[in-house]
Amino acid sequence: MMTALPLLAPAFFAIVGVIYLRSDFARGSSQLRIGEYAGFGALGVSLVSLLVLLTSGAATSPLIGLGEFGFSARIDAVSVIMLMLVSFIGWIVMRFAVTYTDGEAQQARFLAWLSFGLAAVLLLITSGNLVQLIIGWGAVGICVNRLLLTYPERAAAQRAARKKAICSAASDVGLIAGAIALVAAYGTADIATILDAARAGEGGSTAVLAVALLAVSALFKSAQIPTHGWLTEVMEAPTPVSALLHAGVVNAGGFLLIRFADVLLLAPGVLSILVMVGGLSALFGGLVMLTQPSVKTSLAWSTVAQMGFMIMQCGLALFPLALLHIVAHSLYKAHAFLASGGAVQQVNSIRKPGPVAIPNGKAVLKAFAIALTIYAAIGLLLGIDGKSAQAIALGAVLVMGVAYLLAQGLADAAPEVLTRRMAAYSVATTLSYFALQSVAIWVTTGALPATPAPGPLEWALMVLTILSFGAVALAQATFPNWATHPSAQGLRVHLSNGFYLNAVFDRVTGGWAARTR
Amino acid sequence: MLTMVERFSGPALEIMAGAKTAASHIPPLWALDATVAVSPYVGQAGEPLQMAAARLGRVAGVRTVAERAHFKAKFDAHELSVADLEAGLAEVPDLTASVEDLIDAMGQEVAAPKTLPTIADLAEEVSDINWPDFVAERIGHWASGHYDAGQALWPAPKTRVWLSWRSFAQRDLTPEIFGLTGFASLVASMSMSARGALTKCAEDMNITAEASESYFHTLLMRLGGWAQMASGEAFRASLKGEGNNDITDLLTAKLVFEAALLARYKDEIGEKWTEVLAAHAEPFEPSQDDLIDAALQAAADHAASRALDQTLAQPAVEKSEAPNVQAAFCIDVRSEVYRRALEASGDGIETIGFAGFFGIAAAHNAFASDVEEVRGPVLINPGAVTAATDPEDTDTLTRVARRVTRAWGRFRLAAVSSFAFVEATGPLYLGKLVRDALGQKGPSIGKDPAPALSSDISLDDRIGMAAAILSGMALKSGFAKLVLVAGHGAGVVNNPHSSALQCGACGGHAGDVNARLVALLLNDPEVRAGLGEKGIVVPDTTLFVAGLHDTVTDEVALFEDDLPKGHTHGADLTNLKGALKLAAKATRSERAGRLPRADTASAILDRASDWSETRPEWGLAGCSAFIAAPRGRTAGKSLQGRSFLHSYTWQEDDGFGVLELILTAPVVVASWISLQYYGSYVAPDAFGAGNKLLHNVTGGIGVIEGNGGVLRGGLPWQSVHDGDKFMHDPLRLSVAIEAPREAISEVLSRHEGVAALFDNGWLKLFVIDEEGRLGWRYKGNGEWAALRDAKPTAIAAE
Repeated sequence: MMTALPLLAPAFFAIVGVIYLRSDFARGSSQLRIGEYAGFGALGVSLVSLLVLLTSGAATSPLIGLGEFGFSARIDAVSVIMLMLVSFIGWIVMRFAVTYTDGEAQQARFLAWLSFGLAAVLLLITSGNLVQLIIGWGAVGICVNRLLLTYPERAAAQRAARKKAICSAASDVGLIAGAIALVAAYGTADIATILDAARAGEGGSTAVLAVALLAVSALFKSAQIPTHGWLTEVMEAPTPVSALLHAGVVNAGGFLLIRFADVLLLAPGVLSILVMVGGLSALFGGLVMLTQPSVKTSLAWSTVAQMGFMIMQCGLALFPLALLHIVAHSLYKAHAFLASGGAVQQVNSIRKPGPVAIPNGKAVLKAFAIALTIYAAIGLLLGIDGKSAQAIALGAVLVMGVAYLLAQGLADAAPEVLTRRMAAYSVATTLSYFALQSVAIWVTTGALPATPAPGPLEWALMVLTILSFGAVALAQATFPNWATHPSAQGLRVHLSNGFYLNAVFDRVTGGWAARTR
Repeated sequence: MLTMVERFSGPALEIMAGAKTAASHIPPLWALDATVAVSPYVGQAGEPLQMAAARLGRVAGVRTVAERAHFKAKFDAHELSVADLEAGLAEVPDLTASVEDLIDAMGQEVAAPKTLPTIADLAEEVSDINWPDFVAERIGHWASGHYDAGQALWPAPKTRVWLSWRSFAQRDLTPEIFGLTGFASLVASMSMSARGALTKCAEDMNITAEASESYFHTLLMRLGGWAQMASGEAFRASLKGEGNNDITDLLTAKLVFEAALLARYKDEIGEKWTEVLAAHAEPFEPSQDDLIDAALQAAADHAASRALDQTLAQPAVEKSEAPNVQAAFCIDVRSEVYRRALEASGDGIETIGFAGFFGIAAAHNAFASDVEEVRGPVLINPGAVTAATDPEDTDTLTRVARRVTRAWGRFRLAAVSSFAFVEATGPLYLGKLVRDALGQKGPSIGKDPAPALSSDISLDDRIGMAAAILSGMALKSGFAKLVLVAGHGAGVVNNPHSSALQCGACGGHAGDVNARLVALLLNDPEVRAGLGEKGIVVPDTTLFVAGLHDTVTDEVALFEDDLPKGHTHGADLTNLKGALKLAAKATRSERAGRLPRADTASAILDRASDWSETRPEWGLAGCSAFIAAPRGRTAGKSLQGRSFLHSYTWQEDDGFGVLELILTAPVVVASWISLQYYGSYVAPDAFGAGNKLLHNVTGGIGVIEGNGGVLRGGLPWQSVHDGDKFMHDPLRLSVAIEAPREAISEVLSRHEGVAALFDNGWLKLFVIDEEGRLGWRYKGNGEWAALRDAKPTAIAAE
């Protein structure tokens, strides 16, 4: 019965949500803290689930439902890691929200929907059965919609909510259709059984169809281009909602792909599409972010980029790394949103130590060479030979990032002590990167399939990825030298507008419709 | 450089004049890194309340006086008497109504005034696009990039506002997508000169000189905080003797949208537009409701001054002859509570009230910082250059550490490297989340090394500064053994509006630097010797010590490291610290009643480091009076933290130089603060910063609500409202000064701008008589009315 334990986590939040709706707590009452306690409870559940996993191994709980269909909890590395992550973020977000929304007329209702939202995410990630997965998936969409309309009178909130509703609906349809195809292919709704069969190579063309449908669903859920418009407008809801969405909800797309990793490997064509869409979203989101002057908007574009990168990792069949990316990004983004009130001081502090030292072309090239050396040295020390070609290729992205860090220390105007410190940071970053990847792979061994050897298509995609990321990284590092040139101004304007994808989406869906009076 | 000489026709010049006048109605705004309170009605100071109400009603559709129910509640609670209503009526001579009429009017709800429509409004009615919001969003999108102080790694090019917008708008395709075909090329065809474009658009739209001021003011109000920020740029430039056209440039951008929409929908809305223009050309005239509102507001102000008089009428407490400690605090209303508690908690502690910059307006460089901060009132240019000094030569290392942090920040935000950042360091945020959720990272104020005056300032100048400071504080003799100079600041975290809680007299910074500068200056033996020659003898046994009053926790920290080595005041300091602790406790328990969720002793202390707290303290909410008199007039009487208290003894003020200073600087600053709260209360949409829960910091300089659109100046809703009720009472400040009327009138006659505030009722002026009561009320235009049975008083005869 211990295997059904994870289901307690969503239950805690669901119960608390109902209590918020039903009870009439006094303003500032300590009873309002029950949401935080639900977070604690869920965190406890996740830790016990971890113990169960460590002692008894992966398992699916007995089914609560009819025949093949119903609720069951899955305990394996993927679901336990996600359970720990979402419970923790849930605790933080609820704790924050209780004080933050004090004095709001709709406080209890807001906290209720926040709790339901967390319950839905937890239900989704603990799923051992497709039915539970679909219910959790749909419920997340409904809760997000309610949360986006926290201030229903705001026209901009209605606009964001409408866009989100359209994307949610598309995503729901994709998942339901995908699930039907899975049942058709494998004759069961039990996720573990499906995965085992897929690992054995079963499923045929119906499985490929299922993968395609799941991929569509994931792309809509994770705000990949061109369905990202709603995500960059969720600031119409209070800050804790942004934190929850960016750290918990948009992950759902990636989670879906990771959950069905074994099935995904049956459809390399779909994977290559994921690489392209994800890679494009990553670059596009990252570039648009550079031009955004508002802190939350900038963070939202960063999420589009990070989710793109994660989807790309899924496409490259680097599922453990994608899972690591979800965890790392969620923690970072939850903090970034909740602490976004500090942006005034943060921006102000940028100017304090004097002008930024701008590296010239030579310094940038030097930085790339040194970064590559660090990567190779540490890689060889820690054993690069065991890594897949895809992981090594993706390491290039790390090299480019570290090069950017180094270049700032190598600028002519930078004092020597700054150069030394930047070098130390670069080495530490690289070490940490390798260490975390090794941990992610080690932890998920057995739960997630190993990355298959790349075929010609994969090789082509990897080269394309390295080239396009490299071009952007080079542009970025030499950026101050060209960005203020008049000829770059058109590009900046179009980028700041996200290449108008959102405007077109708005135009088509009546986003700026005249108000009725 | 090619210089263009533009020539304009007579009508064009009139349009430009209309734009300038409209711009003068917009209050200036400061960036949030160091914001100061500004009266939203600063542009209407030359007219009375009812006229401002008529004007703002037409151009912005906002109330200028609280809703009638607010007055009804006061009347029902007997806070507002029939006599107050009579007094209110007397202040609005244009209103023919009786007290009964006013009482009836309180029961009626008057709908908010309706603004005249813009072309965007008219276009929305005949199309399927929400043009007003669309235009606001487009201009906001550009403006947040233009005024960005460093959020975006790829900044917008820094050019003049018009050229910057023109460059953006001729490339932006969004208007085309929504059907405003040809907008980009229209912009591209416009003059490089904003004035040329403005007059061209005005001509195309048939805007007359008569309609221009009202219409342009309407457009500027629609730009919200962006227009205010542009107005602020002009304000700051003119202080430095420079010119700035940001606001008319911004107006031109808005007008181009209007012109384009008119051209697009001319057939449908042309006729209506002619009517709107005609309405704009009408002079502003207060309605009957505006007049009634003005009378009700005047009555409420009268009631407040009556209550103040009753407090002042309480018997004075005897003060001990020679104090052991003199403690100078800022005039800020929050100090009043603390001063009262401190006087009650220690033996022989006397307090002094003075503007919190204590007379040194510093252009200050914080430790290891290149950014010059203005730590003084924003109405004046800084008088001294100062910097945080570096006792252990750690400046360079600190700078390097900050540059590492900055480089790391760029690594985090840049395209491509942001992915490496997340994968390598994301898990570290687990620790940061726990730390911040549990409030383990407290605020950091007053942590810099000691500040020092620039070595360019000669000893003579230092002595002069010291003498002026002591004269201003009326502290030229009778020094206690220990003199505390306490600035104030608010230690909060994760709060975009934290600077609004700091010391206004220190330019929106904490007051630690100014207090420390003053204490260091006055402890300098050479300066003391010079003071002696000027007749101000500071005994060798007197020690000045600087402190910082944290208005969130009410703890006062002393800067003991700044004290001269080998001083012999150890025991005195220990006693003082004991008294400060007691006072902090007493002040917290007095404040706890007003703060939500402050029922335990630690609840107030915890607020300082709670990253989710939207109401860490109440700032200056509730402020209603300004008193310049000896402390003896107010000591021991509870003014409920609602009064600015300036120590002033007119008998010691030769030539009334200090009086002039008080009336022209602290009184004006206090009026701006009081009217900022007033505006954020009565017109939150136009003059308030909106809901903190939705705040999205833009450019590091201000906030927008949600996704975009207009910048929001003023105070957030959570700063004036506790969720159940307003924490501020919209009153015009009662200024009570103990000084001869003639001297006050004389000062006013030389300061037109200040006199206008009193003449038009934006401030209420009273003279405190020799009994310490409100003896006279200023009626405007140099005239006074006796308030107390016309007893001949000595003070009147002076």
